[in-house]
Amino acid sequence: MNKRFIWRAIAVALSFTLLASACGDDGDDITATPTTTEATDDATTTTAAATTTTEGDDPVVTVQGGGILQTVIDRGTLNCGVSGAAVAFSETQPDGSTTGFDADYCRAIAAAVLGDSTAVAFVALTAAERFTAVQTGDVDVLIRNTTATQSRDTDVGMDFGPTTYYDGQQIMARESAGFDSASQVADLDGAVVCTNAGTTTEKNISDAADAAGITITLTTFEDYDIVMDNFVSGACDAVTTDGSGLVGRKAKQETAGENWVIFPATPISKEPLGPTYGQNDSEWADVVNWTVFATIIADEKGITSANAADMAATPPDAEVGRLLGGEGEIQSVMGLSADAFLNVIAQVGNYDEIYTRNLGPVGLTREGSANAGWLDGGLLYAPPAR
Amino acid sequence: MSEESGVALESATEDDIDDKPILKPEEPSLPPGEWVRKNLFNGFFNSVLTVLTVFLMAIAARGLLNYVFSEERVWSAPATNARLILTFAYPDSQYARVWVTVGLLAVLTGTSIGLWAQWAGVSAKKLCFWSMNLGSAILLSIVLTQPGVHRDAAGEVLRDADSDVIRKSFSTAMSDRLVWWIVGLAFIGAGLLAWNWLGEMRRRTIRVPSSFLIFGSLGLVVLSLWVVNYGHYAFIDGEFIAISGRTVATTTKQPWTLMWLILVGSFFLGRQIRKTERASSVKGLLNLGWLLSPFVIYWVILRDPAIDYSHVWSTDLPLFLAFAIGGGAVLWLLSYPGIGEAGRLAGVGLVVVAIFQFVAAFAGWYPMLQKVRLSFVLLALLGLAASNFSGERSQRIRFVGVWFVLAALLHYFATVMNAPATVDVVSENFTGGLTVTLFVTALTLMISFPLGVVLALGRTSSLPIFRIMSTTYIESIRGVPLITILFFFSNILPLFLPDGMDIAEFAAIILGYSLFSAAYLAENVRGGLQAIRRGQYEAADALGLTSPQRTSFIVLPQALRISIPPLVGQVIGTFKETSLIAIIGGFDLLRIGNQVIPAQTQFLGIKRENLLIVAAMYWVITFAISKYSMRLERRLGVGER
Repeated sequence: MNKRFIWRAIAVALSFTLLASACGDDGDDITATPTTTEATDDATTTTAAATTTTEGDDPVVTVQGGGILQTVIDRGTLNCGVSGAAVAFSETQPDGSTTGFDADYCRAIAAAVLGDSTAVAFVALTAAERFTAVQTGDVDVLIRNTTATQSRDTDVGMDFGPTTYYDGQQIMARESAGFDSASQVADLDGAVVCTNAGTTTEKNISDAADAAGITITLTTFEDYDIVMDNFVSGACDAVTTDGSGLVGRKAKQETAGENWVIFPATPISKEPLGPTYGQNDSEWADVVNWTVFATIIADEKGITSANAADMAATPPDAEVGRLLGGEGEIQSVMGLSADAFLNVIAQVGNYDEIYTRNLGPVGLTREGSANAGWLDGGLLYAPPAR
Repeated sequence: MSEESGVALESATEDDIDDKPILKPEEPSLPPGEWVRKNLFNGFFNSVLTVLTVFLMAIAARGLLNYVFSEERVWSAPATNARLILTFAYPDSQYARVWVTVGLLAVLTGTSIGLWAQWAGVSAKKLCFWSMNLGSAILLSIVLTQPGVHRDAAGEVLRDADSDVIRKSFSTAMSDRLVWWIVGLAFIGAGLLAWNWLGEMRRRTIRVPSSFLIFGSLGLVVLSLWVVNYGHYAFIDGEFIAISGRTVATTTKQPWTLMWLILVGSFFLGRQIRKTERASSVKGLLNLGWLLSPFVIYWVILRDPAIDYSHVWSTDLPLFLAFAIGGGAVLWLLSYPGIGEAGRLAGVGLVVVAIFQFVAAFAGWYPMLQKVRLSFVLLALLGLAASNFSGERSQRIRFVGVWFVLAALLHYFATVMNAPATVDVVSENFTGGLTVTLFVTALTLMISFPLGVVLALGRTSSLPIFRIMSTTYIESIRGVPLITILFFFSNILPLFLPDGMDIAEFAAIILGYSLFSAAYLAENVRGGLQAIRRGQYEAADALGLTSPQRTSFIVLPQALRISIPPLVGQVIGTFKETSLIAIIGGFDLLRIGNQVIPAQTQFLGIKRENLLIVAAMYWVITFAISKYSMRLERRLGVGER
């Protein structure tokens, strides 16, 4: 009796195993198509958020089938990596929305690809996570005030798009201490210069001091708010970081009765910020690059979100017509709809609008900076749309 | 909120519904002058110490008050970002889901308090003291806080030629605070009046029900939302509007009022149920509700999963039925009374099958849905326990029923968790702020507590294999810093997973916390186990109890009771350690206060205010937990028996 029981039990268990494995196979077949992955994913059952990586997607070799562009179109939203905590570039607002210069470029890409600038899922990333997120495909594009450098570009799995903001490290000090906007690094001799620890800014300033043949006392703190506290209290004679950051701090934190000056006019480092995306997917690279170029060309041609529709209807010149989808097939060839860039300009705006909207409130102006158009003596220059 | 409830709970040990409170005789209280002489100035040394301490406390209080009420503080930063601090970037359009969550928790809390609470109420004497103390504290704060500054019509701080702020004179400042003088004196007066009016005897015997105090004070807080000008922070058509000096937005005060009503309503419901005969089964249901609530709230209510119904019909449901029926049949056979050793062998066989599925997954032999593998694990666990449930037909049916329910829950949540969310939120971790702190704490404790008990039993086991395994686990986990474990689980674990298997960051974080916390809990429980005297084991053996019975009925209840203080310490530790999520990329309270809010253009660099608020939130919750544990200890007589 007992023996028969064991065998019966084991037989039931085994047949049950087979049945279940068969059913399991079923499920996995479905997971082969990326679009339904999320519903049937072989993820652990504790998977909290919707995972976006597709089954068996080797992160490094992303070129297959439709690539990122097709994935984004199928998904219906753009996963855009931002900081979520970078003044004027990507801020998380009290209601949970994300705004800023970088966030607007995410919206511009969504407008180009999906025709809807709100179809963006912002993924807030730390500085440490950001590149892994691009390499594994967690984000389709990374626009997180990231400096393009040679080593990052050659690093496995990433490519850089065109620069959207030319930043550079500068120094801020008090006018009362004898500094003015024409000061140079050499004038800092003997000063206490503060910055945050463990970043390239630390290295840049000591290199610049060596080059100028001066001695400075470099003091570093864990984060930039503490650096500023020490500057305000007078413990630091000067502070240094990227120019965009200094201007924002000056606008918001300048003590009454003091005048803070930012110098030198030519920054001591080059920090070109721009979008980053997965390597070897030139179709997607074209989409991101030309979305950026479209905003720059629109700025040059005077196309704004207000007049974009009129301009598309009656283009003042052939290039505007081509850019806004009136003539030719250049957007369609890229895999976008013909009016993709019209959507970008109408929904998000041209470069100047994006810049003024986000960087204006912290006191950054385009005039005279590297971010002016090439006709105004700046560096912003887009290839022609033809 | 929690603080008030904690205070009210303090003096309560007995039931105010079923039993008359048994009051300990109080020592007759001394007149105030006498008390001060006896306790504070009863000798030269003690007098010096008293004066010194009061002086230091006044300096500290002055520093804190001046800091909090300084004109430099931007309290609008945390106030404006309250939503961010509580739920991070949860979309405004879906915010009703958050309110449903709070409502659900209010129902559970209210009913539980109504069913379980044993309150003796607070004596009138204590209330008089509280009122007088509060009044004195207000008066002291008025005097200690430095005078305010002069402002112009636009609210800008006026400064002198050296750009220093101009402070009002002391007398002007004091008269400016007239309202607070009145409030403080009113509290003292009310306390004194009540004190004199009630005689010595009635002061002790008159007791105000704790429920009245708690819900009353919560009600006052909610009422104040309608009356006091805290500042108006509202989202209208996606536009954020912040106006100081107005009552809070209707979208805030209406839901909170509703939540208060739900809380009070379910409290009375609980009280009613308590009187009926169904009380014990409702208690069981409530326990199940609390256990399931983190899962339901997090994955069902807040995420709103988009379930693919065609897939459910074609795969999920047949799979569940196959498991439920097949597994039910197996368990029915295994719980057959005469099965003996063969049943245990079959149980072990099921464990082998379950483990094999994971080996196959890692080796990539054949694909299988993860929930199928987990179902095998569940079946194996129940299969091992089956022999304990052999017996009457009805008992076996109940056992198979338990399997049905567990399998249904497993399959349901597996389906829900793997369905994509329809609510768009920033960051992969889906939510942030206080929400993520609470969920990580709750889930960590739910996983680590049973694991910790098992590890403790394993470490004290007489079987060498269990002892060695448990000891190795505990010692190796305790030898590694928590942050290392978290980095491992969030960054390195995904690399070890086989192709196609994926673990969400949130799950990885909880796994890391749980495994870490379990090792510490195990040591706490082991401390309790060692305190059980030999005689208890012998008595259990003499009664003829089997060793699982001895452990679960005699040893563990006593051991757990003894280890309540260190266990609560571990709970509080886990709660506070969740701030490490900030380092591995999550948006918890700390990161929002420290990085996100200071990065907003309008609050650039404003950090201290947020951090103070975050610290206060941690303190309030931690204090509530320890108050509750003190109550629990008193009720279970820890340290007395």
